[in-house]
Amino acid sequence: MPHVTPIMLGQVIVSGLLAGALYAMVALGLGLIFGVMRVLNVAHGPLLMLGAYVTYWLFSTVGLNPYLSLLVSMPLVFLIGVALQHVFVRRVVDAPELSSLLLTFGISIALVNLAQLAFTSDLRSVEFLTGSFLVGPFAFSKSRVIACLFAAGITALAFLFLQKTRLGKAIRAVSQSREVAQVCGINVQRIHLFAFGLASALAAAGGTLVAVMVAIQPEMGAVYTFKSFLVIVLGGAGNYPGALLGGLLLGLVEQLASLFLTTQVNEAVAYVLLVLVLLLRPTGLLGGRST
Amino acid sequence: MTLAAELRRWARWFLPGVAVLLVILAVFPIWATGYGVRVMLQLFMWIALAQSWNLISGLTGYVSFGHVAFFGIGAYTTGILVTKGMAWPLAALAGGAMAVVLAFVIGWPCLRLKGPYFAIAMLGLNEVLRVAASYFEGLTGGGLGLSLPTLDASVRIYYAMGLVAIAVTGLTHAIVTSRFGLRLMTIREDEVAAEAMGIDTFRYKVYAFLLSAAAPGIVGGLAARDMGYIEPISVFPLITTITMIVMVLFGGKGTIWGPVLGAVILFTFQELVWAHFPHAHQVLLGAIIITVVLAMPRGILGVLQQKYNLPRTV
Amino acid sequence: MPGPILQVRNLMKSFGGVTAVNGVSLSLEAGKIYGLFGPNGSGKTTLFNCITGIERRDQGAIGFKGRRIDGLKPHQVFHRGIGRTFQVIRVFPELTALENLLVVTGGDYARSRERAEELLRFVKLEGLADEYAGNLSYGQQKLVEFIRVLMTDPELILLDEPAAGVNRTLLNELLDAVRALRDRGKTVFLVEHDMKVVMGLCETVFVLDHGEKLAEGPPGSIQSDERVIEAYFGR
Repeated sequence: MPHVTPIMLGQVIVSGLLAGALYAMVALGLGLIFGVMRVLNVAHGPLLMLGAYVTYWLFSTVGLNPYLSLLVSMPLVFLIGVALQHVFVRRVVDAPELSSLLLTFGISIALVNLAQLAFTSDLRSVEFLTGSFLVGPFAFSKSRVIACLFAAGITALAFLFLQKTRLGKAIRAVSQSREVAQVCGINVQRIHLFAFGLASALAAAGGTLVAVMVAIQPEMGAVYTFKSFLVIVLGGAGNYPGALLGGLLLGLVEQLASLFLTTQVNEAVAYVLLVLVLLLRPTGLLGGRST
Repeated sequence: MTLAAELRRWARWFLPGVAVLLVILAVFPIWATGYGVRVMLQLFMWIALAQSWNLISGLTGYVSFGHVAFFGIGAYTTGILVTKGMAWPLAALAGGAMAVVLAFVIGWPCLRLKGPYFAIAMLGLNEVLRVAASYFEGLTGGGLGLSLPTLDASVRIYYAMGLVAIAVTGLTHAIVTSRFGLRLMTIREDEVAAEAMGIDTFRYKVYAFLLSAAAPGIVGGLAARDMGYIEPISVFPLITTITMIVMVLFGGKGTIWGPVLGAVILFTFQELVWAHFPHAHQVLLGAIIITVVLAMPRGILGVLQQKYNLPRTV
Repeated sequence: MPGPILQVRNLMKSFGGVTAVNGVSLSLEAGKIYGLFGPNGSGKTTLFNCITGIERRDQGAIGFKGRRIDGLKPHQVFHRGIGRTFQVIRVFPELTALENLLVVTGGDYARSRERAEELLRFVKLEGLADEYAGNLSYGQQKLVEFIRVLMTDPELILLDEPAAGVNRTLLNELLDAVRALRDRGKTVFLVEHDMKVVMGLCETVFVLDHGEKLAEGPPGSIQSDERVIEAYFGR
């Protein structure tokens, strides 16, 4: 076991929080879909992937600043999400959860392979921001910091939206009880469409932000689907603020684990964590609804 | 017509048909080409895989997204044992045993989770195993793969695969027509009610899971022997799980012959299309899953069952 | 048998911020019919769920025939001798009526089958034995769920709203069956909304309101209990 200095620890903790903000934002999307519709969206990762490809495409054709491409990727994937919900997902909203799981699984396979056909599996990258910010003894990759800032900002906006706007409150109402919301005159179908779109937009934002940091390829989303599930489980299903804390927690745990284990084993860490939490506290560390 | 009379009418022409088919398959290798034998061998493998997936996911409703893990571990166990000198039939059985052990290790914690959460846990399993296979390089040859001593045993493996396919189908028949099978189905129908009626759903799920891992382990071993070379990406690919799932969903989950039907149809299609258009093929698989979930949840066999009033134990 | 057959002491159960059952205590003697009465959301089904192990109670003790059963899993509670039906019918739709009954018991198949057929005859459903439960009418499913519980001859039977959605004739059949069970020494505990059902059938009634036991006693006194009236019609 390598000797761990306070500086290393500090570096790792902050890195964890930086990564965690991104996880939180993407997971919030997944959480919205589950909270509002009780649907487990396995296609969440592919939606993130689409966001990344939009950014890549805009960057490589017209040289658009990747962070500006958020203004394109988010609305575009929002619309894709709405379309998916309208055509497919709404038919399984009341079905047993396994049906929606299989359906979104099918959608994710189709999306990933359509992307393979359209973009090939060649690795792409967006070389935009390199280097690190140096703060005292710490060095933080610039792209990570900027990604965290945007993720935090977008997540904050999303929360403000949920808390303050009428549409946001309607979403929260439907998450609590669909019947009561209907009685109050809320058009639940429209809420479903919007929630799925919003969730997709959040995933796409994640894709845009990571496009600058990782290799872009059609299968890149799968790991984010899984980690988003983990965050939702950590924070509690249906517990939106919980997703935030869950994301940060996951980021922290991963970075801390990387101090002691090789990067390859990191995947296993997330997996073991998921199984442990599901077994010990199925309603999440912060308490939420169980299925 | 009562259920019993229906079954008898059904059996009168179906079972002899199957018997004739088995005889044909048994003598097939005598006049077929090496390629032909290889193709049929793979078909048997897929039938065994689909039937096994059906045992857990079709009967209990607990969708196993990581089932290829058992195939892969069977492949690696057999591969390692064969390189150490063991005869391949025994090594393949050992592969099956190892798969059952893995099923126990995974199932013991994960089957306590409710259906959807179990599915999520299984989703992550694939990735973990692929990483693990690369990690334990010394044993598995790491990312570079493991080579087996060359051996041309295709015909013998053909029969071995065939036997496994028959065995799993027979097992499925035995289960579906027994009280054990009925209890598995209650888990799918209404797990809370099943528990309330005294069924220890956890124990039954574990049994089904263990049973469903054995055949994939064995055929994984046989496939490894046949291919002669294993690497992580070839024995733990997501496409294997996806194909298993589509075969069963399409053919008819929870039935005895549904997985066989699905395997035959999809395998034929796969042989014709996949080799040339792998990604289009997978898009199609995704589309099939979507269609089945939305339009024919009981698969082709389910549609036939309703139309011709076939008994459930088909 | 000495002592009460079921004892619930100070049961508490909350979900998140909502307290569903708040310190309920009750005691059932063997061989009688008890009623659990109360408005929607008063905690009746939660109480049943805690007794049968479907929910884990937060605090309190549940004893059956002198032994603690809180903390047991539902299938273990069932094998101790407590059976229940559900508010929303939970038959197994893709199993036939007969199969619905057969899955409950282990052991000798022939004997199970005999008992299942006997029970089907008891409720006059023997002609539908091979029909998929999902295809049966609401009332028929209700009967199947009822006799399913009786397959292992449990000593305590919990019925969650047996009268819900059931026509007069069927209801009378069910009530007669319940009385027959009591005459054989079984204990029946039922949740009901319908005052008339409760009045004619139960020997003792517990009234719950907002998770607390409001009143306890014979139906006559409950009906005229001011607190009960207020809980239902007041506020």
